[in-house]
Amino acid sequence: MAPKLSERQQAFAFAAILIAAIAGLYATTQLLQPVPVQASAVRFVRLDVEGVGWSIQYAPATTNNNTAFGLLLEASAKLAFPVAYVWYQIPQGVFVTAINGSVNGEGNRNWLYQVNGVYPNIAADHRALNDDDVVRWIFSTSQEGI
Amino acid sequence: MGRGWWTLIDAGLGDTRTRILGVFLIIVAVVGTVLMRSYANIETVFAASLLAGSLLGRWWTILVPLTALAVLQPLEWSTTYTGYGMNAMTGITFFVVSGYVFVGFLGRRIRPRVLFRVKSVALLTTISVPVTIAYDLWTAFGEWYFITRPFGVGIVMVLEAQVPFTLYHLLSSLIFVPLFGSIFLFLHTYGWPARTPAPASKTPDRE
Repeated sequence: MAPKLSERQQAFAFAAILIAAIAGLYATTQLLQPVPVQASAVRFVRLDVEGVGWSIQYAPATTNNNTAFGLLLEASAKLAFPVAYVWYQIPQGVFVTAINGSVNGEGNRNWLYQVNGVYPNIAADHRALNDDDVVRWIFSTSQEGI
Repeated sequence: MGRGWWTLIDAGLGDTRTRILGVFLIIVAVVGTVLMRSYANIETVFAASLLAGSLLGRWWTILVPLTALAVLQPLEWSTTYTGYGMNAMTGITFFVVSGYVFVGFLGRRIRPRVLFRVKSVALLTTISVPVTIAYDLWTAFGEWYFITRPFGVGIVMVLEAQVPFTLYHLLSSLIFVPLFGSIFLFLHTYGWPARTPAPASKTPDRE
């Protein structure tokens, strides 16, 4: 028969198991974090932002903002249109909520992005760009998306 | 309002200590969640709901999650779900609210076994693991139905994407349930530490 543990021993045992569980879980969450994109210069990337009845094009010859989100922010700063987003620390990533005054949900539309015609399954600030990539931000209805 | 109603409300809210702890749990749920807004799924509503059911019982079982969410959900609508249609936001809110109320009721089921003992904190913490997973499955279904399904995204993809969020939610439960569980179990059993030691309550208020 197992010896009966005192309240204090139970507390220590519980704390030890709990700390081990939390540490293991935290390590797993860190392993699942998306890998940060290292800044590097990319050339001839193009950005198309397509709202309802308006569009914005931006094509720098070279840029160090080599993510789909970084390019959008660079265009926002250079061409003076607003971008709203929520930034999450865990899981790391941004969620774009509005571009140039068009807010997610208006007319059942939401901002989605494509790189070279493909919808990536990661946050835009973790989608690295290469030379000649084309990024499209589309204010899309549910039927048009994905 | 008649005397009968007052008696009913009075009985439903319990004694003074229960009421103070109930209000404290609501504050913990709201403030904790707001402070950790940038950490997805790290929140204190779950722990508060579980403790409301298991420690306080009575009307606090639903009063704590409902009051906390009455404050927090409009905040979600104006940030994470900015601009989503009324239909989608109402639908998601239904899943979130019913999920937390369910957590409160589950806590209430184990209430008779909860005392200020290590075993009780361990029991609450252990139960929080499957309940967190069940809550996440429930709300992921709601998110799929109201938000991603119209975009043609299948439930399997939503559940796959849910995995890291559920891990964070489990992390949140493993931290906050034992932390607040220990504090509130102590306060529920012994009340506030006083300069002049008051006699310990041998029979914490129970239905």
